[in-house]
Amino acid sequence: MRRKVILYVTKAVLTYIIVLFTSFTIVFFFLRLIPGDPVTRFVSLMMRRFGYEAAPETYTATVEEFKRVFGLDKDIFTQYLCFLRELLRFNLGPSFLNFPTPSQVLIVRALPWSIGLLGMATVLAWIIGVIAGTLVAWVRGTKLDHVLFTIALCMSQIPYYLMALFLVLGLAYTFAVFPARGAYSPTLSPRLDLQFILSLIRHGTLPALSLILVSAFGWLISTRSVAITIIGEDYLRLARAKGLKRMRILSRYVLRNALLPQVTGLAMSLGFIVNGFYLVEWIFSYPGVGTLLALALGVLDYNTIQGIILLSMFTVLTANLLMDLLYPLVDPRCLHEV
Amino acid sequence: MKSKISDIVLSIVDGIQRSLKTLRSSTRLTIGSILLAIILILGIFEPLVNSYRLGGRSPVELGLYERALPPSFEHPLGTDMLGRDILALVLVGLRYSLLVGAIAGGIATLIGTVIGLLAGYIGGKIDAVLNSITNGVLILPTLPLLMAIVAYVRMNMVLISITLAIFTWPWSARTIRAQVLSLKERPYIELAKVTNLNDIEIVFKEIFVGLIPYIMVGLSFSVIGCIIAETSLRMIGLGPAEIPTLGFILGWAMTYGALAQGYYTLVLAPAILLILLFISLNLINVGLDEVFNPRLKKITGL
Repeated sequence: MRRKVILYVTKAVLTYIIVLFTSFTIVFFFLRLIPGDPVTRFVSLMMRRFGYEAAPETYTATVEEFKRVFGLDKDIFTQYLCFLRELLRFNLGPSFLNFPTPSQVLIVRALPWSIGLLGMATVLAWIIGVIAGTLVAWVRGTKLDHVLFTIALCMSQIPYYLMALFLVLGLAYTFAVFPARGAYSPTLSPRLDLQFILSLIRHGTLPALSLILVSAFGWLISTRSVAITIIGEDYLRLARAKGLKRMRILSRYVLRNALLPQVTGLAMSLGFIVNGFYLVEWIFSYPGVGTLLALALGVLDYNTIQGIILLSMFTVLTANLLMDLLYPLVDPRCLHEV
Repeated sequence: MKSKISDIVLSIVDGIQRSLKTLRSSTRLTIGSILLAIILILGIFEPLVNSYRLGGRSPVELGLYERALPPSFEHPLGTDMLGRDILALVLVGLRYSLLVGAIAGGIATLIGTVIGLLAGYIGGKIDAVLNSITNGVLILPTLPLLMAIVAYVRMNMVLISITLAIFTWPWSARTIRAQVLSLKERPYIELAKVTNLNDIEIVFKEIFVGLIPYIMVGLSFSVIGCIIAETSLRMIGLGPAEIPTLGFILGWAMTYGALAQGYYTLVLAPAILLILLFISLNLINVGLDEVFNPRLKKITGL
């Protein structure tokens, strides 16, 4: 048994490392081999922005100097080795957006906003969806179930960013209930007091809501189908025959069993946090990773772009690994398939 | 000769009747198909409608009308800050969105079907490799990669469609592979092997027919995926302005602060059209599942 556990864990971790390494390598070569010269574009952009006219020689010299700073003067394999070495030191290289500041600083600054907002929203949506899905499964086959299920089918298809647009339009512009932009009121400075926290919540409501309104319905659909198969099981008939109260059957028997597959789903979508919701942040100018990516794409800041892509791959793959490692606790049978 | 023609006519009528019956057997399929048909007609006849309404002038021409007109009979959605009719703009956007969705979704489904067939039918090492590639593309966060490509490379209609397809084919590949795996084990395939049909004949004559509903489901998933991805790119201002899709209109409206200035219809109309399109395709998917997978109905009690 113990040998099997060790074998299973080694296999999962090894696969994780190989996949992570391969995808990082692919991303690196992919971004380097795409045609287009970001450094030249960056230099001419800077010159235009500061109204700086340069003689052609000075211009070429500047471009060469910047290429040296960004490590682009060497051949691609040396660049690759450099990239790997610097990655281990957690260094992504200087950014264009905010020139000498390294990209990782920009990303780390944006990360807590994304995790706070989207993590909270994902978990809330999950809780609402799982409970609602169990309740809907309980009344399966009725008119209410049919109507709710169809509504859920339609709502879960709306992309987050379109939902965000509707919410901004309705609750920020038509009725000014919530602010339309930013993460906190510009008159406040970040500190730990009631006023600031209230402002955070007020600004976070609409972005969070646009995510919850869509994905809660998605969870509802998947929980409903899991719960319906559970309701059909014999032990539930026994529970009912024993005369257990309806609430007790729902919470102890149905919800608890439906929870297991849904927990793995939650872990997966938490891994996708950095990936899925770029546009919601962009629409609300929320200072998270999504807005940073949009800004970086605008000036072709490839160190930052590459960093964000690597970060989202890392989170997704790591969430996947954690799920693989935790899965035997839920279902020990998978240990025997190694 | 005469009987042959009447036979053909009869069989066509029969075919139409049967597909109408399939359509009517599921309410969701019916509603979805009607919605999709309306949207497709709006998109396909856009050039006609626009040239009639605008008297032959281009809907993107600046200053064609007075600026910021509120919705009226002449301009059902009003005009924008550059003096263009918003309804005309949105219809153009719809046509381009549908075009990109159809081309990209079609390519994605083609790639997915071929790879799913190969992996499922041949099996063994080839299946292992193709399947891990499929799962790899499915699990990796593709949107930022897609955004980076579109930001660096100058795109046209075909190029952007191919790029979108490269990231969306795994959905249909997975469905097709699973279906091929199950079809392969059916007795009639064994029979076909015994009667000396070769692999290519078996795949095209026997298996392909059973795949058609799944290819359709894969197609509508791919179209949804491609249009969602395309719209996301365009909303942050990436991609060529020569292809003014609904996403481009939304992105443009956002950068010009259309909401803050009160041009609500400029944002609402494209968003509602896109949502209706996604809902109709999804209803069709669920409906097809209900029709072709009646067991599901019993199990889940839909």
